[in-house]
Amino acid sequence: MAVAQKRPATTSKFTIDDKLKARIIDDYITPFVTLLILLSIWQVFSLFNQNLPGPIRVVQDTWKLILYPFYDKGGTDKGLFWQIFASLQRVLIGYSLAAVVGISVGVLIGLNRRVYKGLDPIFQILRTVPPLAWVPIALAALQQNQPAALFVIFITAVWPILINTAVGVKQIPQDYTNVAQVLQLPRSEFFFKILFPSALPYIFTGLRIAIGLAWLAIIAAEIVMSGIVGIGFFIWNAYQNGQVSEIILALVYIGLVGWGLDKLMDWLQHKILPGQVKD
Amino acid sequence: MAFVTIENLERTFDLNDGGQYIALKGIDLTIEEGEFISLIGHSGCGKSTLLNMVAGLDLPTDGIVMLQGEQILRPGPDRMVVFQNYSLLPWMTVRENIRLAVKNVMGHLSKAEQEEIIEHHINLVGLSHAADKPPDQLSGGMKQRVAIARALAIRPKLLLLDEPFGALDALTRGNLQEQLMKICEENKVTAIMVTHDVDEAILLSDRIVMLTNGPESKIGQLMKVDIPRPRKRMEVINHPNYYSYRSEIIYFLNQQKQIKKIRSRKQTVVAKHGLEKVNLDIGFLPLTASAPIIIAKEKGFFTHHGLDEVNLVRESAWRGIQDGIAGGYLDAALMPSGMPVWMTVGGMDGKPIPVATALTLTRNGNAIALDKRFADQGIRTLSDLKKFLRETPDKKHIFGVAHPASSHNLLLRYWLASGGIDPDHDVEVMSLPPAQMVANLQSGTIDGYSIGEPWATRAVVEGIGYEIATDIEVWDGHPGKVLGVREDWALTYPNTHVALVKALLEACKYCADPANHNEVREILSQAEYLSMDHEYIYLSDAQQATCGITKDNRQLSHHVFFDNTANRPSRTENLWLLAQMARWGDVAFPRNWVEVLERVCKVSVFSIAARELGMSEMTTYSRGAIELFDGIKFTADDPISYLNSLNIKHDIYMADVMLDVPKPRAA
Repeated sequence: MAVAQKRPATTSKFTIDDKLKARIIDDYITPFVTLLILLSIWQVFSLFNQNLPGPIRVVQDTWKLILYPFYDKGGTDKGLFWQIFASLQRVLIGYSLAAVVGISVGVLIGLNRRVYKGLDPIFQILRTVPPLAWVPIALAALQQNQPAALFVIFITAVWPILINTAVGVKQIPQDYTNVAQVLQLPRSEFFFKILFPSALPYIFTGLRIAIGLAWLAIIAAEIVMSGIVGIGFFIWNAYQNGQVSEIILALVYIGLVGWGLDKLMDWLQHKILPGQVKD
Repeated sequence: MAFVTIENLERTFDLNDGGQYIALKGIDLTIEEGEFISLIGHSGCGKSTLLNMVAGLDLPTDGIVMLQGEQILRPGPDRMVVFQNYSLLPWMTVRENIRLAVKNVMGHLSKAEQEEIIEHHINLVGLSHAADKPPDQLSGGMKQRVAIARALAIRPKLLLLDEPFGALDALTRGNLQEQLMKICEENKVTAIMVTHDVDEAILLSDRIVMLTNGPESKIGQLMKVDIPRPRKRMEVINHPNYYSYRSEIIYFLNQQKQIKKIRSRKQTVVAKHGLEKVNLDIGFLPLTASAPIIIAKEKGFFTHHGLDEVNLVRESAWRGIQDGIAGGYLDAALMPSGMPVWMTVGGMDGKPIPVATALTLTRNGNAIALDKRFADQGIRTLSDLKKFLRETPDKKHIFGVAHPASSHNLLLRYWLASGGIDPDHDVEVMSLPPAQMVANLQSGTIDGYSIGEPWATRAVVEGIGYEIATDIEVWDGHPGKVLGVREDWALTYPNTHVALVKALLEACKYCADPANHNEVREILSQAEYLSMDHEYIYLSDAQQATCGITKDNRQLSHHVFFDNTANRPSRTENLWLLAQMARWGDVAFPRNWVEVLERVCKVSVFSIAARELGMSEMTTYSRGAIELFDGIKFTADDPISYLNSLNIKHDIYMADVMLDVPKPRAA
């Protein structure tokens, strides 16, 4: 008996080890090796093209920026942390605004068929306008860089939130509305107990798409708006000064932040809607 | 005032192609307070639509639904629904789901009282262990229990249930049905339930509403379930009426299914070999008398006469035959001898449908059987029975017959009446499908029956009953079963009709030959025909089975399938049958009886068939007067004086039966 029990125990321990190993190989070693290979190709490529620094050059050139992200020499001459922080701040404000407006208008048009029919075609056209195309009109109308940047973020991020919310509200299963009707739930009760929870997975999908777009928009907007602190303008400034290595470093940071934002939304979604997220 | 009133309700849906689908039409129903009503019908018949309109979730296109005299225009908690797919909110736990309902509907109660109601109902459906789980973690059955608890918790005036137990396992379903029944009885809940389950409907309902198939579904039948309450699931099935309720509903549902099948099947007429139609649907019942039809199919007599595509349709009751012929989805059918004339004079809901017969398939083959209890009382003869009935006036004795127009019914009544027993006052005669006679006799629902073979033999062989009289002793040589077709069918397909009669006449001859009897019995016993052991099936040679309880050596089976005089349709016999039906008030006696008989009895078709088969000697014979066991002669000269001369009879009505001019079907 004892022997018989021992054997499967050791075997299963083996398999756990094996699985862990396989996961480490899959999730960490494989991407890492791939990265190394790509960096090497880049390095080799840069040997033939003097205009594009290789990875080693980039690290050498931007060593100071990497080491001191928090320096602040006044004006726009600030460490990368401050640059990213300034951009994120704008995103946060513009995105929050977009979330509030998008969800409320989305609920409104989702509930009212006529409003939906009237506004949907307009929204469908507006949402395809690229973020950069909003910049001139924003600058022209608002005259100042800061509000214009916020507006561009807002106008880019609002559509996916709005449209997804509307769809979510429209798609409340008949079963739930039937329950609400039979029980004659008051409007507020209906909104918070049925409509909102039911539409929440859709709203989150919209929010997650929007955060990516907002980050995308701010970089584009800042590039055009000279003289403000922000990672977008940092890139533009570096280009003006011919510091290609700095541009590349900034790109890496932008990518990492964008990825982080997406992960954050993912985490939030799982936190708030356990079991309802279908990956 | 009725609690719920549904008047002339209609619901039409707009289709995408611009057309309209009429789902329900002309629904009239009133429901009393405390009543439990079931809606039953096939998928898509509009049961749920009807329920939704009572709930107020859907509004009728026309007509009105009222609850306590007030028109239902919107949903409300006084008409709580238990939905088909539970409709629980997945982001709330079981308790929160119920609380949402209780809080909104019973806001006048204190919080503690509300919580008490919530807990009580969670316990009621046995879910206290899952009260804090979200619905996603529950099985389908548990979810529905939550939905029922939620509905019951708010004490609606009218409880609406949309297939509430469909997804539950048998054990849970049974428990919940009893729980629901108990709560409904204790709280006088009025309920409407949509269901597919016949047994569930009978168990729970006071009345069962059967809906016909859409489009334009309507109430096909309304059945009262007269089983006393409180009911118990295990006891209800022993109630004497349980199986007749059950068979009634199942018959209805099967009928609807067949109509649907007929509708969907493009009925094309295949003409071949000089015959107008060779693809025929012929109806029969699981009876020994079906032998000629079954043999004609199995031994190739149909094909021999060019009828290549004959399809035999087994019905369980004569009503299936009657509806199949009336609805035109059976081409021809085995019929009890009185059915053609009965349908022709309007036996079916007073609507005359001319039906013709050109061939008598069997004679005799019926017997009157009594429960063996009567044998223990020493009842052997009609006068014994009369004496016994006189001694037990407070007990109603029930006899089963297969159909009002069957010779069983008419011979039983004649036999009883000749013994001084009024079949409508001294006993009760009730219609049952043949195959259910034995079971009903055994359960004591009926005390005796008059029926065709093999059902009488079966009761004797199984020792449940005994034969107090066979039809030989009442009217030897009476017509038992005939071939019936609609008159317009016969006129549309005259050559097919002759070919059909020829094939069946040859099959009759085959069945009558003792050399073939074992083979015929084997074939009849097959699952698709009578589906019983051939030891119960005898054609006309049942001496070996005569040792019944009474040991009085009656010859049990005595079918006459064929002889020189057996198969020709007879006007006198049909008149006798018609007179007997009028005698018992089943139909009015037609003043134009000569015309009626002319339309029913197609002697000419029989004569052509017989002559073409070289059996011309059969065509010349003509029956004289009919003489039954009591010595009273019946001739076709003066049926009205005959009826007047009878002592025991119902009030006799006379009427002109308006028959349409005979004409073939429009192509």
